[in-house]
Amino acid sequence: MTEFMQPDSRRCNYFFLYDGSKVKGEGDPTREGICYFYPEETPLDEQELLCGQLAGASRCVSELSSSPVRILRLRRNNFSIRMKDDFFWALGCSVEVPTISVCELLDQLINLFCFYSGSVRRSYQLNTQETLARRWAQYLSHLESASSELHHIFSCLRTIDSTNIDPLLLLKAALILQACQRCPLVSAGCILFRGRVVSTQMSPELTMKVMVHESETYAKMQAQRSNGPSAFSSFGGAVSSTSVFLTMSELQYLQSAPVDKHFSSRSTPHKNTPPRKTRLSRTLSDTPSPESEPSDTGSSQSPQKVSLSPHLSDSSVFSPDPSQSAADPPPQQLEPPFSNGKHSPVAEEEVLEESYYHSFHSNGDGVGPMHDEGDGSLCGEDSHRNGGGGDGDAACGTVFESQGDNVLEEVSGGGCGDVQCHEAEIPDPPRSGAFDSQEECPRIPMTLYLHRVKGLVLALLVEPHFLSDKDSMEEVYHSSLASLNGLEAHLRTISPGAPGTPGPYIFAHFDCIQSTLTTNLSGRPGGAPQRPFVRATSLLHSHFCNTETLQEAIIRSAGAAVYGTRSVAQETYFQQHGGSLRNSGIPNHQDSAFSLPGKARHRLLKHGVNLL
Amino acid sequence: MKCLLIASESAEVLFHWTDPEFQQNVQEQYGASQEDGQGLPAFEDSISTLFAPIIISCSTMVDRLDDSYTSFTTENNHIYVLHQFDECLYIAVNGDGEEGEGDLRRKIYVMKKMLEVLFGMVTLSSNLLRKELRPQDTEQRARLWKFLQSLLETYSHLRENDQSFLVEAVERLIHPTLCEQCIEFLERRLVQQLNSSAERAGEEVMHAFILVHTKLLAFYSSRNASTLSTSDLLALVIMAQNMYPSNTDQDDPNPEDVESTSGSGPESFYTPEPSPTDGDSSSSGDKPVRGSTPVFEFVDPDVQMAEDSLQTLEVPPPDPSTPRRVFLEVSLKDGLYPMMPHSMYCLPLWPGITLVLLTKIPTSAVAMSVYTFLEAFAKLEKRLSDGQEGSAATRGQRTIHEVRSKLDKFIKALGPSEIQSGQLQRDWTEFKNLAFTRGGLGFSRHLIPSCKKMKTQLCGVYRQCFLLEARQSDVPQRLSPGLQERAQTMVQEKLMDWKDFLLVKSRRNITMVSYLEDFPGLIHFICVDRSTGQMIAPSLNLTERNTSELGKGPLARFIKSKVWGLVNTTRRYLQKGYSTVTLRDGDFYFCYFLWFENESGFKLEAGDIPILPDDSAPIGMLAWDYYRKLLRYYSKNHQGEVVKCYELLTVHLGVIPAEIILQHCRQLASKLWEPSRNPLL
Repeated sequence: MTEFMQPDSRRCNYFFLYDGSKVKGEGDPTREGICYFYPEETPLDEQELLCGQLAGASRCVSELSSSPVRILRLRRNNFSIRMKDDFFWALGCSVEVPTISVCELLDQLINLFCFYSGSVRRSYQLNTQETLARRWAQYLSHLESASSELHHIFSCLRTIDSTNIDPLLLLKAALILQACQRCPLVSAGCILFRGRVVSTQMSPELTMKVMVHESETYAKMQAQRSNGPSAFSSFGGAVSSTSVFLTMSELQYLQSAPVDKHFSSRSTPHKNTPPRKTRLSRTLSDTPSPESEPSDTGSSQSPQKVSLSPHLSDSSVFSPDPSQSAADPPPQQLEPPFSNGKHSPVAEEEVLEESYYHSFHSNGDGVGPMHDEGDGSLCGEDSHRNGGGGDGDAACGTVFESQGDNVLEEVSGGGCGDVQCHEAEIPDPPRSGAFDSQEECPRIPMTLYLHRVKGLVLALLVEPHFLSDKDSMEEVYHSSLASLNGLEAHLRTISPGAPGTPGPYIFAHFDCIQSTLTTNLSGRPGGAPQRPFVRATSLLHSHFCNTETLQEAIIRSAGAAVYGTRSVAQETYFQQHGGSLRNSGIPNHQDSAFSLPGKARHRLLKHGVNLL
Repeated sequence: MKCLLIASESAEVLFHWTDPEFQQNVQEQYGASQEDGQGLPAFEDSISTLFAPIIISCSTMVDRLDDSYTSFTTENNHIYVLHQFDECLYIAVNGDGEEGEGDLRRKIYVMKKMLEVLFGMVTLSSNLLRKELRPQDTEQRARLWKFLQSLLETYSHLRENDQSFLVEAVERLIHPTLCEQCIEFLERRLVQQLNSSAERAGEEVMHAFILVHTKLLAFYSSRNASTLSTSDLLALVIMAQNMYPSNTDQDDPNPEDVESTSGSGPESFYTPEPSPTDGDSSSSGDKPVRGSTPVFEFVDPDVQMAEDSLQTLEVPPPDPSTPRRVFLEVSLKDGLYPMMPHSMYCLPLWPGITLVLLTKIPTSAVAMSVYTFLEAFAKLEKRLSDGQEGSAATRGQRTIHEVRSKLDKFIKALGPSEIQSGQLQRDWTEFKNLAFTRGGLGFSRHLIPSCKKMKTQLCGVYRQCFLLEARQSDVPQRLSPGLQERAQTMVQEKLMDWKDFLLVKSRRNITMVSYLEDFPGLIHFICVDRSTGQMIAPSLNLTERNTSELGKGPLARFIKSKVWGLVNTTRRYLQKGYSTVTLRDGDFYFCYFLWFENESGFKLEAGDIPILPDDSAPIGMLAWDYYRKLLRYYSKNHQGEVVKCYELLTVHLGVIPAEIILQHCRQLASKLWEPSRNPLL
């Protein structure tokens, strides 16, 4: 009767992506359909067995119920399932992890993939399985790296311990982000310190996605640093970028953020128009070199940028040459195709995407994406970017569609020239149809820009042509550099502080809005007194998720009594150590378990948790 | 959209039950995939085709990964629960959100329990069970399946509407004087008279009880009888309800017909299609008894549809006095014997009131022997397959030599009877040759197939003795019809004056009114004594005609759904080792407590409660007696003490301070069992 569960630090036991379209015929071997399988060392036989059986049985059930399977349980594993098009994802966790968390984890994983790679089908057409396998593995290990068992229950953002930190620093971080947003090409951003969020303007889900890339570049940087002191704080070394894909709703969320561009544009003249001067006056280390281009070309960190910048900076609105800037959009379109034979496919893709986006902007409302120009042009840009006007929205829609077409065009065309692809802006009917029907929600390409100052990272979601817009880039870079350095210096000095000065109680406080977790539980798994707390939390969390009306609960086993309470915005769990747990279990109002709500209210105040 | 399916490993459908919606869905799907104009194939074929891939995949998973599916959930919230018992795979489906995973798993276990009650040890041999569940004769199969389907529906109906089936404990009518009188009557007059009659044909009445709807008025067990387990009693109540359903808790379709002054409403019987006397045991004895003139009323569309799907049968009415063979647990001094054959006589007194007699049949000693041998072979097989050999394999309570001589005698004794034991004899000789002779292999792995054969043969003998025998012999063993009639009349006479009272009382056994003054803010409670398997709770009748204290309509239904939900929730926590739960949910405050006492009422310290996996047997007493195991587990640390286990669930208004609520619970716990301390069971 007793089957005490063994704690397992690894929450994911299996993860695989199976492409049913590859296994249609009788003779097709199952292995053809396996796109990725974790753990990778699993014998192929077992991989085939699991993929084949799970996908087959799920398909059968889906047909019976005319709805895709979402959860599949085995005796020893709970699988969260996603069935879309012909793809079949399955993520299997040990039965201890609440099912709801397994489902969240799988969604996160797929969303992460789509965020960095766009459509799954297209990625598999474009890239080798090995390349994409590395990505899945990377995302999985990132999500797995959650430090404690509580993180297995709540998919939360890791934030810096705000109780330990001067609030002014948080304010400063927020200000840096706001300053960056003055550049109209910058949508939103976040600041991370050593893999933890300091401040963010994005939704928790988006921030979480951005953090994956940050941790990747951090790892790379560490590796480089160990190799030797490479160009660390040079523009190139500190800045990197990657293309990302946002869903419509994510983009809308970003655009709806209350950024007052009018204000920023008006304020720019006296703050930023003579930006170079201010910058110079502010930081001594900031030599005039940033204004010269060589630092760009010399960067070895982001090859795509290297190859792009010489050309694109020419056509940039911010180019010092007035004649070019005035005639910006048309010349670019009319320009003959330049040689791009050296570009890697990815880089090429970006070139195209950027240029399409750019050309849309230019064509769409005849206003270049500039912010230093007159107010009028800025208005146009603003309304468009914020989705304020109905026209703007409609335009966006069309552009995204045509964007998809272009991408496809590019996929099939391989190394097609620039002009050719511009022409392809006129949708290619048959292809576009096929593509659109596959993609339920179109994903909009954006660029993720990262500026690293040691452990501190400024991550910005920017319009794709931001990278080609050298002036904007420099401006963002230089206007934030000094503040970032300062912030980093301050944050570095703050001792991480043992977060759980273990009191006579354990608590966990989950902020559902910001997806943050506050707890005094140490990250190391398996502490004996923690197990009952984690188990109870896991059960209560599932219960809260399934029962909308449930507000608070006290549950007691022989070992521990745990109090859980939640509101729309938060979930809090509390367990008091010690005390006499000797009780008969019969209802008794003097029982210590029932004083937990009061104690929690009292004790948690000093952790900034208000339960009143 | 609901379905329950039993399939063999080779994906053969051994039983299915579907609601009309599911049936329609399957037919549509089948029609769509088979549009070559051949018309719809038989429903059974389509359902088997649709489920076959899942069933086969399931056994592949077991064979190759040693893991198996326990459930599927789709995005539109259809739930499929799978469970394998030996070689039979049970699949329960819900597509209308009315049942959760736990409910479906429970339904599967209840179905298995009912099969055990009906087929006894035959269920231990998958091969024989397959034959029983899927008779070659289609008419017979249709009859059997219809009977099982209606049992399942009766159970589902009770679980959804009757609090005693919600918590799986027996509810007694609270009327100490009358109860005591009735028990005395059963003991001194009825059982004594029956057992001293010459017309009992060797049967002996062991238990007699009177049911008013699903509630127990009186229960008497003869002195040499073992106690009837709660699990068996609940199963018998389901069977009695299936024979003589009371529609008290169903909304009456024609309220104007109803004479509502008595408060009891119209009572009517639904009698399943009668079956032939010579036929199978599963459908005999279902007819209401002469003397009463029941109104035959049948309105359940689900049942109607299920019937339509089967062939309409023209069968002669059964002999009403034929008892139903049931297999119940017997605990004797020398051990526990599960699935011992009994005869169940279900005698309706009035609509809604039934007398049930359980008799021990003369040949039941054979069943005990068979069980002993089966157990010995099963143990041996297990040891051998664990890799133990020689004397290590034969170590145990009974030495294999003892079994040998007993089995020799047993087979010898069977010889002259009608039971075909030739194959058993041959297999036993083979076993002995392998195991005991010098040239044989002795006790090693090679003996395993032989063990299996012996088990099958023993089950076969058991089947002949207790399932086929009862069907085939021209003069079935039973209390004579005259004797049954006399018993019925005696109890009718005794209860004549109480009849109407009892029917009302059963509906309003206890009411919240009597508690409101002492416990302001208390809305509902359920208290269960798990050691005796009894429960007590204010009535929650939600028919249009009857108003409970909760009023009627949406509010009452809402509270009912909350109570049902609370029971499920607390079971979930109990499964994970939590014996105290309080919840603030919307405008309500729910409490759940489980505690242990010794016989003198001293509260024992709360102990560890085992943590069970998600797919473990459901917590309850009907299909799998969780509480019996819990008590045994807890008692390990309380040797020499009789340990009792109680549960209390309460629903309060959320505005009442938690402290007051807890005080209420305390008082309620101590007050509730006072009136029932008298020996009613």
